Amino acid sequence: MNEIQNLILIPIILPLTAGVLTLMVRERTKYLKEFIAISTTLVSLFSSLTALKYVNSIGDINYECDWLGSFSLMQFRVDQLSAFILLSVSLFSFLISIYSISVKNKGNSKIFYFLLLLTQFQAAGVAVSDNLISMLFFWESMVIVLYLYIYISASTNSTRTTALKAFLINGVSDLALLIGIMILGYISNTFVMSEISKSKLIVSGWATIAYILLLTGTLTKAGAFPFHTWIPDAALNSNAAFMAYIPASIDKLLGIYFLTRITVFLYTLNHTMQLIVMGVGAITIIVAVMMAFIQTDYKRLLSYHAISQTGYMILGVGTLNPIGIAGGLFHMVNNAIYKSCLFMTSGAVERQTDTNNLEKLGGLFSKMPITAICFIISAAAISGIPPLNGFFSKELVYKGSLLTGYTIFFIAAEIGSIFTLASFLKLGHTVFFDKPSSSIENVKEAPLSMLIPMIILCILCIIFGFGAHFPIRHFISPSLISLGYISEELSGFHTDNLFLVALSVILIALTNHIFGYQRTNRAYKASDHIHHAPILKDIYEMAEKGYFDLYEIFKKIFRTFANFLFKIDRVFDSIIDYIPSNSSYKISETFSSVHSGVYSLYMFFIFSFAIIFVIYLGGIKW
Amino acid sequence: MVVDFLSYSLIPLFSALAIPFIARKNKRLIELLSNVTLLSGLLNLSYILLSYLIKNNYETFTMDVYSFSMIFTIYLVGLSITFFSTHYGIENDTNPTSYYPLILIGVSAMSSIVIAQDIFTLYIFVEALSVVSFALITSDNSHTSIEASIKYFFLTFPASVLIIFGISILLLNHPNLDFSTIKDTSSKFLTIIALSMITVGFLIKSGIVPFHFWTPDVYQGAYSPISALLAGIITKIGGVYAIIKIGILISNSQLNYFISKILLLSGILSVLIGAFLAMIQKDFKRMLAYSSISQMGYIILAVATFTPLGIIAAVFHLINHATFKTVLFLNSACVEKQTGTTNILELKGLEHRMPTTAWTSIIAMMATAGIPPLSGFWSKLLIIVALWKNGNIYYAIIALIASIITLAYFMILQKKVFFGKLPEKFDGVKEAKFQLLIPVVVISGIIIFSGLFFDRVYSYLSRIV
Amino acid sequence: MSIYLLIYFLIIVSAVLSVISKKLINSAIMLAVLSVGVSLLFFTYEAPWAGVFELSVCAGLITVIFISAVSLVKQDDEAFKENRVKYTIFPLILIIFAILSSIFVPDYFSKLSNFSIYLENQNEPVGKFIWLYRGVDIIGQLTLLSASVFVIKHIFKKKKTAEER
Repeated sequence: MNEIQNLILIPIILPLTAGVLTLMVRERTKYLKEFIAISTTLVSLFSSLTALKYVNSIGDINYECDWLGSFSLMQFRVDQLSAFILLSVSLFSFLISIYSISVKNKGNSKIFYFLLLLTQFQAAGVAVSDNLISMLFFWESMVIVLYLYIYISASTNSTRTTALKAFLINGVSDLALLIGIMILGYISNTFVMSEISKSKLIVSGWATIAYILLLTGTLTKAGAFPFHTWIPDAALNSNAAFMAYIPASIDKLLGIYFLTRITVFLYTLNHTMQLIVMGVGAITIIVAVMMAFIQTDYKRLLSYHAISQTGYMILGVGTLNPIGIAGGLFHMVNNAIYKSCLFMTSGAVERQTDTNNLEKLGGLFSKMPITAICFIISAAAISGIPPLNGFFSKELVYKGSLLTGYTIFFIAAEIGSIFTLASFLKLGHTVFFDKPSSSIENVKEAPLSMLIPMIILCILCIIFGFGAHFPIRHFISPSLISLGYISEELSGFHTDNLFLVALSVILIALTNHIFGYQRTNRAYKASDHIHHAPILKDIYEMAEKGYFDLYEIFKKIFRTFANFLFKIDRVFDSIIDYIPSNSSYKISETFSSVHSGVYSLYMFFIFSFAIIFVIYLGGIKW
Repeated sequence: MVVDFLSYSLIPLFSALAIPFIARKNKRLIELLSNVTLLSGLLNLSYILLSYLIKNNYETFTMDVYSFSMIFTIYLVGLSITFFSTHYGIENDTNPTSYYPLILIGVSAMSSIVIAQDIFTLYIFVEALSVVSFALITSDNSHTSIEASIKYFFLTFPASVLIIFGISILLLNHPNLDFSTIKDTSSKFLTIIALSMITVGFLIKSGIVPFHFWTPDVYQGAYSPISALLAGIITKIGGVYAIIKIGILISNSQLNYFISKILLLSGILSVLIGAFLAMIQKDFKRMLAYSSISQMGYIILAVATFTPLGIIAAVFHLINHATFKTVLFLNSACVEKQTGTTNILELKGLEHRMPTTAWTSIIAMMATAGIPPLSGFWSKLLIIVALWKNGNIYYAIIALIASIITLAYFMILQKKVFFGKLPEKFDGVKEAKFQLLIPVVVISGIIIFSGLFFDRVYSYLSRIV
Repeated sequence: MSIYLLIYFLIIVSAVLSVISKKLINSAIMLAVLSVGVSLLFFTYEAPWAGVFELSVCAGLITVIFISAVSLVKQDDEAFKENRVKYTIFPLILIIFAILSSIFVPDYFSKLSNFSIYLENQNEPVGKFIWLYRGVDIIGQLTLLSASVFVIKHIFKKKKTAEER
């Protein structure tokens, strides 16, 4: 293999070996594991950067390797979209490895860094795989890593339950993905994505089933409704480094990447399917943001927002026109940036104040200024305030959804924006500006290792916002070209109707927040008027109890079924256990009563049996 | 007599005769002489055997494979017993001046048994062996050993009656009693009748159901190293060896249907009764005795098929079982010496204090139960395959099920005796002396290696037929 | 024919008497009579050498050993009378067994003898038998003799006196 192929192999193989190396390092070394992780991810970052430059200028990189026979070749093909995803994955691995130096409750740090490097290996593998089987291999192995991340962060019962829930939801959806890929490979006679895309599939018959299964798999990974329920629980039970890494950035990157592949690259969707995709996106936006609005836990609120932003990406990709798809992809990377930054701030606040509860937090601006500023920038970005990056990507999504002709999606997206901004106003006001409660004092600024990644991400927010043409020209447009779309001019300030709508969204949200704040005089209760509104109150109660949670419903059904099977099994169990052992003991006791030690009895037996044997051998049957 | 091996039977005899003259005053010299005799024989044999096993080329092997394997086993077990007795402290219980010569004469008699070429010579040396074992059992003059010896002698003399009767019927046919003559005339009715009687006689001597009644009392009551000798080699060479030899001779006869039926019935009954009764025993040595009955049943089952595979399986299981029981009985002797009891209900958690004893016992027990990759697994597998191929499918299935019961009682034994919490009264128990463990470890090594390198062993054994 | 019957009768009666007699020395003497009867049987079957060996070893040597051993054992009066019932019913059972077997067994043995080959009367000297044909048995006899010597030494141990202990 030549040096160009090395470029895409390095982000895959190097983290794997470094991860195994981390496992062998002794637990007591202070910074060796962090050093290994940071240097490895840095090297992967540079190599993927070089790969992107190469791919954008010259052409695709290909690499093949025989593995398990010709059925499942490891085929790597890096076109512009894959290079872009690879770069983002490596960037986030690098940033999180710096960040997690100071996270306290990440569990056994040897295993944590091993998992981190392993995730980098797997995510890079997904990004560059061309063969569906090899992509499936990398995709599915992330499920175990997910489970382990949550499991090692604490030893409480709820942590284990959440880990299991995450594992089960992701595992079942991966099963659907597996079946979908098998059907896909069967109907197109090949598993290589670039070859399938040469003649795109039409949604009919088996291809529909395959598409729905694939959609299930990828939507679960991205965290859309109704497969999102593990993310808020994980937010409660695991640490911020994990949340900033996997649900916020890597999952979304990979999920939307594969969604783009199947929706645009491999299939030409018909009308109904497109409506379904966009509908899922819209529902996700609304439901998640409504749930986010009323939360009282810092990380849980952020996790619901992560789910809702996924809806934007799905909506964007589902529009099937270049503006929408560009919006979806741009929103994907933007969301990764500012969501990670937000989770990092939550981790910093948690580390310094030991609490996540909004009732207890307050007034941290004076004590943690840098964190506060990073929060403000990211919050503004997520809400879509110009001229930060969120605004541009959201604008692209709006335009795309309008171009499809269905205004209902546009309205849903806008409502989502309103509530996003309102909840972040509430959050920021509570944590950083309001009066502090008595339980937190002596709070200092977060350590440098936590601040550096946050600052880098905020700078990226600003760059991608002010200089929005830079990422679009280098990342998004080439991706669109690789998908087969020609792009138009996508960036810049357009003072048209959309801009006015965006401004009005900001004003509505602000009004809502001030209204809520005035009612109760405490910032964290600013959402109570929506929370306790007549119909919504009952819906919120049911949601909190888990009535809408697909996983919980399945758990209840499963439990009854398992009890029934257990009763049947008891019967078989007693037959197998009780009967052989008791009968053999009875037989043994019967026999041993004959062996009493009495010599004459023995002699009698020997003689009689000898005579019987000899007579049988010689005489009776002739 | 096969001339090649004559020295293996004469040299121990002459050493035994020399002992009272040489070593009247010096007890150490007796032990040295007996150990060196057997050790030199064993080294010679193992050198030949290993050179052939490693080369895996048997073209120059002109000796009788069956006799060679048996002599090797005899010397192995004999040397283990003498070495063990040297350090066991038999001076307190018995007179070494007569103990060691008796063992040497026993070894000589056994070697002569396996190199005999006609059946009357075999019988003479079997009688010599039983006389020797009769005396050895009473070595420590306790009540149980004297009772065991009397029971052994009287309950196996019907065997001698039947064997002599059979030999005399053979003489009706032909004046010659050679094995080759028997093989040539094996389709005649008289020969079959005679051989059946001889077989029944040897069945009594080897402790097969329904003649097994002497086995538990004798093994339990005998002096501990001698139970190892008895169970390890005497009941085998003095019993099952001749049955396998007869099996080889009448394999091609047309009339061997009835003997086959008798052997199958006895075999399967032994397997089952031995296994069932071993489960509820409370004494270590008695349980081992019942397990011996069960394993002998397997050998008889294999012989009953009269096919080459069955004969090979029977010989291999014979050699294996010799090693297993030697290890187990020697270890039980160690345990008895260190803790003073052989009651399973009292013994517990010995692995902490006597690790080598425990682990070699566990290897031997697992091998008896037939767990791969130990040698017992292969021999049991061969037996069951031989039964299946011969058409005795139900016997094969029952034998297989019985091996589960074997596994069960051995697991119970292992768990109860060796693992668990050590009770306070055994706190002072130390591991047995290092020299006492050497033979056990060597034999365990042989068990493991013949299991791992089974293909070499099989290519060697398949030359029997 | 009649001489055979007489010899059989002698053998059986002496065997039964040696089992049921009360004193040990009577049993030993009855064993000697038994061996005399068996050797007479050998003589009538034209096997003189077997008869000679039987007479000298069993009726001579073994009887001497038994009588010397029995006279060395002190037979004191027992505390409990042993149960003589089984010794009295033993001959009766034997007679019943004899009657039953006389119905079934001769048939069996006559069928058996149908298969036999009648060998020519071989008058080879005994020496050839002992040395040439069955030379190997010398080793067997040597083994047995040495075994018996050591057996006696082993079983009858000197009890350690108080000084030696």
